[in-house]
Amino acid sequence: MTRTTRPASPVTASPATASVRGLTVSLTRGGVTSEVLRGVDLEIAPAEIVGLVGESGSGKSVLALTLLGLLPESSAPRLSGSATVAGVDMIGGSAAELRRVRTTELGAIFQDPMTSLNPTMRIGAQITESTHSAAESVRLLSLVGIHDAAERMRAYPHELSGGLRQRVMAAIAVSGTPSLIIADEPTTALDVTVQAQVLDLLRELRDRMGCSVLIITHDLGVAGQVADRIAVMYAGRIVELGTADEVLRRPANPYTVGLLGARLSLGMHRGGLLTTLAPETASVEERLRGCAYHSRCQLATTDCATETPSLDPLESGPDGHLSACWRSPAKVGSLAASLPARAGVELPDLTSLVPIPAVKGPAVEVVDLTCVFRGKRARGRATAIHAVQGISLRVEHGEALSIVGESGSGKSTLLRVIAGLTPATSGTVAVGPDRPQMVFQDAGSSLTPWLTVGEILRERLLPLRIPRAEASRRVESILESMGLSASIAVVRPAELSGGQRQRVVLARATIIPPSVLLCDEPTSALDASLAASVLNLIRDLRERLGMTVLFVTHDLAVARLMGDRIAVMNRGRLVELGDADSIITRPQDPYTAALIAAVPELITDRRADS
Amino acid sequence: MTLITSPVPRWRAVSTGFVAGRRLTVVLVSLPMLMTLLALFGRILAPHDPVQPVGGLNLPPGSDGFPLGTDAIGRDLLSRTLYGVQASWFSALLVVGVGLLIGGLIGVIAGVTGGWVDAVLMRVTDLFLALPGVLVSIAIVAALGAGLGNTLIGVSIVWWPYYARILRGEAKSIAARPHVEAARLAGISRPRLILRHVLPGVVPTAVVTASLDVGNVVLLLAGLSFLGLGQSAPAPELGSDTARALSQLLSEWWVPVVPGLAVLIVSLVANLGGDGIRTLVTNRR
Repeated sequence: MTRTTRPASPVTASPATASVRGLTVSLTRGGVTSEVLRGVDLEIAPAEIVGLVGESGSGKSVLALTLLGLLPESSAPRLSGSATVAGVDMIGGSAAELRRVRTTELGAIFQDPMTSLNPTMRIGAQITESTHSAAESVRLLSLVGIHDAAERMRAYPHELSGGLRQRVMAAIAVSGTPSLIIADEPTTALDVTVQAQVLDLLRELRDRMGCSVLIITHDLGVAGQVADRIAVMYAGRIVELGTADEVLRRPANPYTVGLLGARLSLGMHRGGLLTTLAPETASVEERLRGCAYHSRCQLATTDCATETPSLDPLESGPDGHLSACWRSPAKVGSLAASLPARAGVELPDLTSLVPIPAVKGPAVEVVDLTCVFRGKRARGRATAIHAVQGISLRVEHGEALSIVGESGSGKSTLLRVIAGLTPATSGTVAVGPDRPQMVFQDAGSSLTPWLTVGEILRERLLPLRIPRAEASRRVESILESMGLSASIAVVRPAELSGGQRQRVVLARATIIPPSVLLCDEPTSALDASLAASVLNLIRDLRERLGMTVLFVTHDLAVARLMGDRIAVMNRGRLVELGDADSIITRPQDPYTAALIAAVPELITDRRADS
Repeated sequence: MTLITSPVPRWRAVSTGFVAGRRLTVVLVSLPMLMTLLALFGRILAPHDPVQPVGGLNLPPGSDGFPLGTDAIGRDLLSRTLYGVQASWFSALLVVGVGLLIGGLIGVIAGVTGGWVDAVLMRVTDLFLALPGVLVSIAIVAALGAGLGNTLIGVSIVWWPYYARILRGEAKSIAARPHVEAARLAGISRPRLILRHVLPGVVPTAVVTASLDVGNVVLLLAGLSFLGLGQSAPAPELGSDTARALSQLLSEWWVPVVPGLAVLIVSLVANLGGDGIRTLVTNRR
């Protein structure tokens, strides 16, 4: 190492609520041991909100579990360094001590409140487990903004909406008047309008109770909305740390710049390619030797591959803005300025695909479609859920329509009826001339786990009755045109990454080009940069094959990028349908306006809105 | 920097327990394989003809040339037991195999197809499940006449509904998964959909259920044979050998106890092996 200075800790008057020093954690999964955290330093001051941002696999959740003293024993964790909460060592402390800290000093809010609440207990009983007094439970429920708290005490978790459940989790988290609340992706499973409320709640709890908050998220926008300081993690290290404003306005690390660039926002240009992070090309050993980001970094030089930069204060810049990068902040700044013009990856070659012949008339025509699910409740009372109510739609050949709505709006049901997977109760659907193909939200579960990629793709060619050798050739060429190596044909889906799986699903859908491609939230489970590259691919396929695309999403920014027109759905009805840009800039329906207002935008997005 | 390799000492105990568990699983799974080998080569290993009297009457175990002794008419108990184990083991495997085949076929078709096909197939299955299995197989064997073949038919007829029930549920849950919907949208034909996209997912459950069931069938077959519904008199069979020699229990105890113990061991091996296979399959998932 050429530089030996230790990172300077932010100057704080009172001792930190939580402090992590040189924390290294190795976990063993499936017989493979890997270093998940590699020397993390982080201090959380009293009454401070720190946003910990990183993509999946960056180690951000492991850091949270270490602070909670809850690393799973089954993964044989090995730790070095220190992690203290309220002065108590969360690594070496006795089990009894850790339990005391967890009950009195820590509160936790997890991604899915449905799985962290006990479904067989009334919520009142669950809160009272930690408050020991019903009156106190009612007080906390009112504190987290639940109306009629006394009556809600008797509700079971499944009777509450996602937002209310997350509020109940928050009430349990603050029950011991903790000094630190750890919130791991608290808004990821929620609709946008509810997301904003939960983030507001976190701020409010901090203001009222004076507790610190560590909020873990993959979305810089979410962190920017709520956090005082932001820590960006990459491959088990913190690569940038500073005030939210500093990190978002003057990012000093190329990775932060990349994340900002891959973020989709309502204000961005619709034409052209979306910016993505360059794909990883370095092996695990190479990544460990130097800066882990070097093979994806545009500014990388040879020393980046051999020397790991430490997290140091910027030479010129405010106190407490730290970055782990060999390049100067000025260079990184100019990279940030050049963002919109940059294309991250080379586009795959799609010349081998033959466009479908143009046909006159609508590709999809839905007339007065209604879809009702009938269920039986206890005591034989029948219930009916009107998932789709009287929708009429007409999509021309080659057109792309985005369907936007929150969970329960019926947008997925509409798509499934068009696909022929769910029968309509009344009304008609005409799709044609061939069978539409569909891309599912969870690519992993839509691929048969025991078949290889090649077997899954070849199966679609069976009706063509072409010789085996030619089928294999077509499989290879479609994989290559999706930007995948032809060698993955012999691999099973479980061995692929999330982005690769979604590309395989797209390959299956387009190996015989369909006239209509249905997409059901294909990117909502992917990291921002992967999502952008999959969206690029879908747009490119559509253009070259002349496909009609119906794109269902909960994200207005994605809807605007993917659709010529946008249809907004609410409670099974179509509330607004129109040109993508005019819907965003001049919403006619109050529900659409509320959706737009709730999108978490970066401070910088507003500026770039030109 | 302090290096803490194991913050909570309990972890080590857990990990060695896991290794020991693996070794135990391997031993458990190899037990039914050894039993199959023993059954296969039982005829070669047997020192004497199991039907002909070859030595003194009621010789105790450990007698010269007759390690397990002889019965009331001087037949070698070791040879009779080896032949008996062979018949008992392979019959049980056959009944379970037939049950899996019929039950699996009906269950998977019902689970994947749904609707009235499902309703009809499952009501028929319910009908069979509602009947007392042992009594029905006794009645069937009584009607067809005693004999190994008829016993197997009788037991197989009451045994498949159990598999149909379990595999129907499994097939139904797999058929509802997105990958089956995706395959349906991709235009895969119905038989191919069942064979390639549903059936392989049912196999783990089928294997575990069947392997845990072999022991039950061993006991049921031995029980029927004890009641005289197995092979006819001179043939070596563990259940009927025990039954015929029961009056000797107080005078020459080994004559009924040797075949009885053999039944116990065969059924125990089947159950232990089933446990091992279950551990193996659940860990693999």
